[in-house]
Amino acid sequence: MSENDKRVGVYICYCGGNISDHVDVEEVRNRAEKMPGVTIARTNMFMCSDPGQAMIIEDLKSGKINRVVVASCAPSLHETTFRGAIERAGANPFIYDHANIREQVSWVHHGEEATDKATVLIASAVAKSKKLTPLDPIRVDAKKHTTIIGGGIAGIKAALDVASKGIKVALVEKSPVLGGRLNRLDRLAPSGEKASDVLNELLDALKNNKNISVYTDTVIKGVTGYVGNFSLEAERQKNANKVKFNIDTGAVIMATGSVSYVPFKGEFGFGIHDQVITLQDLILSLKENKASGSVFEFNGRPVRNIVMIHCVGSRQIPGIHQPGEDGSLNEYCSRTCCAAMLNASNMIREQFPETGIYEMYRDIRTYGRGQEELYNRAAANKVVFMRFEPDSVPEVVKSSISDYPLQVKIKDTLTFNEEFEVPADLVVLATGIEPEDISELASMMKLPIGNDRFLLEVHPKLRPVELPVAGIFLAGTCQAPMDSSEACNAAGAAAVKASALLKKGYIELDPFVAQVNLDKCKGHGACVQACLNEGALKLVEMQIDGQTLKKAEVTPAMCLGCGACAAVCPEKAIDINGWALKQYEDMVDAIVSDGFSA
Amino acid sequence: MVSTNIKNFDTLVVGGGIAGLQTALDLGDQGYRVAVVEKDASIGGKMIRLSKVFPTLDCASCITTPKMSAAAHHENITLFTYCSLDSLDREGSSVKAQVTQKPRYIDPDKCIGCRQCEYICPVLVPDPEQGGFSAKKAISIPFSNAIPQLPVMDTEHCMVCGQCEKTCPTNAIDYFQQPETFTITAKTAVLTTGFELLQVKDNVQYGNGKIANVIDSLQMERLLAPHGPYSRVLRPSDGMEPDSIAYVQCAGSRDKSMGVPYCSRVCCMYAIKQAMLLSGSLPLADITIYYMDIRAFGKGYEQFYQNAKAMGIEFVKAKVARIDQGENGSVTVRFENQDGSGIATAEHDLVVLSMGMVPGWNPESVCPVSKDNDQFIYSVKPKISPVLTDMDGFFTAGAAAGPKDIVDTITESGSAAMEAAKFMSNSNMEN
Repeated sequence: MSENDKRVGVYICYCGGNISDHVDVEEVRNRAEKMPGVTIARTNMFMCSDPGQAMIIEDLKSGKINRVVVASCAPSLHETTFRGAIERAGANPFIYDHANIREQVSWVHHGEEATDKATVLIASAVAKSKKLTPLDPIRVDAKKHTTIIGGGIAGIKAALDVASKGIKVALVEKSPVLGGRLNRLDRLAPSGEKASDVLNELLDALKNNKNISVYTDTVIKGVTGYVGNFSLEAERQKNANKVKFNIDTGAVIMATGSVSYVPFKGEFGFGIHDQVITLQDLILSLKENKASGSVFEFNGRPVRNIVMIHCVGSRQIPGIHQPGEDGSLNEYCSRTCCAAMLNASNMIREQFPETGIYEMYRDIRTYGRGQEELYNRAAANKVVFMRFEPDSVPEVVKSSISDYPLQVKIKDTLTFNEEFEVPADLVVLATGIEPEDISELASMMKLPIGNDRFLLEVHPKLRPVELPVAGIFLAGTCQAPMDSSEACNAAGAAAVKASALLKKGYIELDPFVAQVNLDKCKGHGACVQACLNEGALKLVEMQIDGQTLKKAEVTPAMCLGCGACAAVCPEKAIDINGWALKQYEDMVDAIVSDGFSA
Repeated sequence: MVSTNIKNFDTLVVGGGIAGLQTALDLGDQGYRVAVVEKDASIGGKMIRLSKVFPTLDCASCITTPKMSAAAHHENITLFTYCSLDSLDREGSSVKAQVTQKPRYIDPDKCIGCRQCEYICPVLVPDPEQGGFSAKKAISIPFSNAIPQLPVMDTEHCMVCGQCEKTCPTNAIDYFQQPETFTITAKTAVLTTGFELLQVKDNVQYGNGKIANVIDSLQMERLLAPHGPYSRVLRPSDGMEPDSIAYVQCAGSRDKSMGVPYCSRVCCMYAIKQAMLLSGSLPLADITIYYMDIRAFGKGYEQFYQNAKAMGIEFVKAKVARIDQGENGSVTVRFENQDGSGIATAEHDLVVLSMGMVPGWNPESVCPVSKDNDQFIYSVKPKISPVLTDMDGFFTAGAAAGPKDIVDTITESGSAAMEAAKFMSNSNMEN
């Protein structure tokens, strides 16, 4: 089929106003219709909706078009949606190109400029689409094996779930024991179940599972390979020795968890007064507390009054809070502390009625099922609530009353900004959640980290447990603060994705990879030098017409499709399928030609 | 009536909102055959009726329609829309459901979705899909992105003029269509029956729904949506562009007098989102949010809240005590100021009630699954697996198991799909 036989259909989306508020979509349609090779140009409020997709399918089926250009949001959102529609019309999904006229146009330009730029991007996509050829996805074998990094509750749950589908699992934990932060908790909010009971139930299931290998004291030092065929270099601390071994695996679930924020010296008196402790310290003490009296004891001393301060190291505001050593602020809410604080308060008030509790907070965030009841119960237990603004936080000072070691000054906004001085034997800080430092692992695996320093999922709604590197998923508090229920749900969701990925034993990858024209290749090797992914491209000896010649060879599964090789080849003997140099030339020609805009 | 028409699947998903669709997709992708039974005429649930979604401000349709479409075209997923679930129980090793297909009064095999019937129909009725603000035809496709694209005849308002029948190019109109009952059997069931908003009319202190310019948050979603009733934000009583808009938080949540003692979990964030969208479409309007606690707990939520404050949206910590009709369509809001100045009143052009979430389905007399005190489906293992119900092989996800935002719903749905798959693998091993 020559280029002149290409009949391009252009489909332009309003995106429910996201595009059409700034781009004159109908005008763009009029212009697109006149572009060379375009036989049909249509618009729809939501091209990704079923009626929108149906237009494309119908035009393909009726033979009106044989190349598709969709102009809508970024291809990362809906490329697969439109490929699916084209396949349903019985056509090859790779005869389609995408013009991003939302992120690249309507969200950043306005008025006529926006309409003109949308036109130009479509013209360039049309030019490119005329040189698109049907392609077949690359099929690679996948190991029915998943590795889970992190043996906290999310990691254990993910391991059990994946293994239930008959997939082998390696569960890798850097510390000597499984269970992560659950090991340090007592009774869990809001139900009051014991953390150890929850954990033991999971650990029992783990013990009886033949599909799961557990590696404690083990860290991952290196990662190579690609989806379906990763190889992890693991290092296990055994007695005084380090044992190295490899794990060959098809998918990886990151469940590396979180740590607790450590207050800086002097933050609410922390590190200065011994009586200022974190919520973790209080929980450990509750766990071990054998006191039988009506007064709570801490370190053997009776505690008459506790002041609990919320949002320590969470919800930090630039200009108000002091950044950490690396200059970062925890601007996020740590999600779990409100319920955990109230839970601890209730336990103390119900067991030790002589111990008074003052909770100083910004907002009480008992959002989850059963959590509001904890709040109500705390009020019924006569916990005193005082509220402060972030720019006027409570101050912890040595007490002027000889009887108490500390007092906490607060301007309480619940009582018309009245100032109080609350005497305290103990001050408890609700320290927030910070991600475990996995920067080495993340840079090795090329995983994105958000501004909040947690791992960043592809999209919170479309692909919430997936990372942009194919075959790598995430679960639990390495993604964001969450409680154990939420971490278990995330683990289940990650496990279902990993199982679906590996179930067939093979994986199909996009075909946009380098291809060598053996007639032109002279074996210079410049491409091998330029290749960014070691192993994707190499020179091999071939027998051609009785001669032994060195030619470049591509390993499609490893090729990133970046085009570095195509740029350096002196013979123009290597090109990227679907993104050929000729196509770029045509795109540039379309962009610089004046004809399409008004 | 016992039906002889039996359809077999691996999993029955009850409810075709975002939770049900995600569950079906995650099961379908693993090779399980899934039936989705939906009471409405289209899948998509509450999410497809929203404008944009927090905290990314993606348009709701942009995220929902591809999932709807993917489910509709999935080789392993079958959709049963406009169906009522008459009974659902376990029978030995299988799940058995009696389902009634409600009549649309069109033949789905003949209808091509051309909407000629809708265009010619002379009868206009209030459109609940548009918050009741605009009208639709007595025979119409529910909304433009609906799946399936089949019209429904509103027999209560149809005057049987016969015009649709004459116009239909495929003779698909069937005035005599009867309900059809069939049986679905499966190995597992996932209950994703979602939520409804508490009704404003139940709320005495907020005017019982009789004050014209007091609307609920889902109505505001329609005013802000691209397919909305007016294509811009106007207040309902007189079509005025509001200069002052107020949000009343916890209207029916955290309120024992309304029977909803729990937090509805999403209202803080959707109010902030709507306030942001409003300041985009009405840049000069004053927007006030009356709140008890701002619960911006999810990933990126607190930053979203701080952005809203920086944009000039006013947050007033107060529980609104009373709402009254003011003059010229205005609304009077009465609350207690926290600065000590006591009881205050404020006039607003439009007031939005952030109504609480109540269960979308009551299993009583349909299915023996247990409810918790909050009336949502009871979760037997809230820590290790919140999706497990007290019935073997029955799972739940999304707002059916308590109020939940979309992000948490989608993750939980994946988890429910995993548990259902696990249940089926285990029972295969036993057999």
